[in-house]
Amino acid sequence: MFKLDTRSRVAIYEQLVEQLKTMIIREVLQKDEKLPSVRNLAQELTINPNTIQKAYRELEIEGFIYTIPGKGSFVSHLEKDANEEQLASLRQDIEKKIKEYLFLGGSKQELMDWLKDVDEKERGREND
Amino acid sequence: MWTRKKGEEKMIKADTVNKRFDDLQAICNLSLRVNKGSIYGLLGSNGAGKSTFLKILAGVYKPDNGEVTINEQPVYEIPSTKQTVLFISDHPYFFNQASLYDMASFYSGVYERWNQKRYEQLTTHFRMDPKKRLNRMSKGMQRQAAFILTLSVMPDVMILDEPFDGLDPVIRQQMKNLIMQDVADRELTLIVSSHNLREMEDFCDFVGVLHEGALLFERDLDELKTDIHKLQIAFKGGPNEEKLKEGMDILHYEIKGSIAFLIVNGLKEDILAKVNRLNPAVVDILPLTLEEIFIYELGGVGYEIENLIVE
Repeated sequence: MFKLDTRSRVAIYEQLVEQLKTMIIREVLQKDEKLPSVRNLAQELTINPNTIQKAYRELEIEGFIYTIPGKGSFVSHLEKDANEEQLASLRQDIEKKIKEYLFLGGSKQELMDWLKDVDEKERGREND
Repeated sequence: MWTRKKGEEKMIKADTVNKRFDDLQAICNLSLRVNKGSIYGLLGSNGAGKSTFLKILAGVYKPDNGEVTINEQPVYEIPSTKQTVLFISDHPYFFNQASLYDMASFYSGVYERWNQKRYEQLTTHFRMDPKKRLNRMSKGMQRQAAFILTLSVMPDVMILDEPFDGLDPVIRQQMKNLIMQDVADRELTLIVSSHNLREMEDFCDFVGVLHEGALLFERDLDELKTDIHKLQIAFKGGPNEEKLKEGMDILHYEIKGSIAFLIVNGLKEDILAKVNRLNPAVVDILPLTLEEIFIYELGGVGYEIENLIVE
């Protein structure tokens, strides 16, 4: 279910939070679906149960999941635009890449044509 | 169901512990807490006092002064505490000529919680020959035997000195997996020393760094990783050191050509906001690895080793 990269610099806890969020946003995990228990996940992935507990707590604070004592954790009903957060982080990534691109001498015009090009292709595919 | 309110219960408590060997102050006013169900990684330079401190916690050494309690009970010469507090030293000890079977029958007589079923399960799983003399086995096999015996006692606390040393990667992973199950199921508490920071990074939730017998710092590992960052910043025409350093908590600063390398304390968002005001061409911000944190923190107290070019 999860792909944790133990060689990554990113903390396991953050990787867990990010992957669960993505799965919830993309509805791989449906609303009211039960998340694996801390114990099962700890055993399956050989990671510290405290780390999983912390990740679940973070997701609960951010409203992605809810917990029923004695039953477990479940996916929340996401009413507000859950994409918002992902968009914000994508914006940051793209901005960084654009800056790098321009710094290394890439042209602004080329970048804009590129965007148009990609957009047209995507539209074309949708109309098929 | 596994629920816990973090930090409520302290399992291991050490208060201003001192230990002196002749003219060496091995442990110096050391205080430390380990939460129930937590895995605490004790890191430190060579000779920092890690093993000595673990032996004090385990009740092998008597501290000169200060107090150590586990689950509110003193440890030194208190058999009832030791029933549930198990120590695997860096050189596991077995009776002379004893086999795993001999050790198991001794353990089952001493430890009230001895779990024979678990012992048999583990022995079979790890393909141990219970009749073979332990002292003739390899270092790794001896450690495996120590783990099997310890886990079969169903301890509340495990004190481990370089526990995975000498184990191959498969066995290492399985031992960790068994430990994680006990942490999840029974809130087993661990304090573990190691030099393998890469390994500790995934295993522990709390780390403390020991240096010259004192605790240099201790932190929740995830907080630690979100609070210290490594930055690489490129500026057109080179960085302005003064402006860059202004208002930032900088642990390390280095310039190579037009790129500045920084290690900075603080939240990612705050750091980025500050840096972006200076109009950098490219900014890269990365969480630090435990190894880097270790090196920079120890560098801060003068434990820094320049590369030596040998003759």
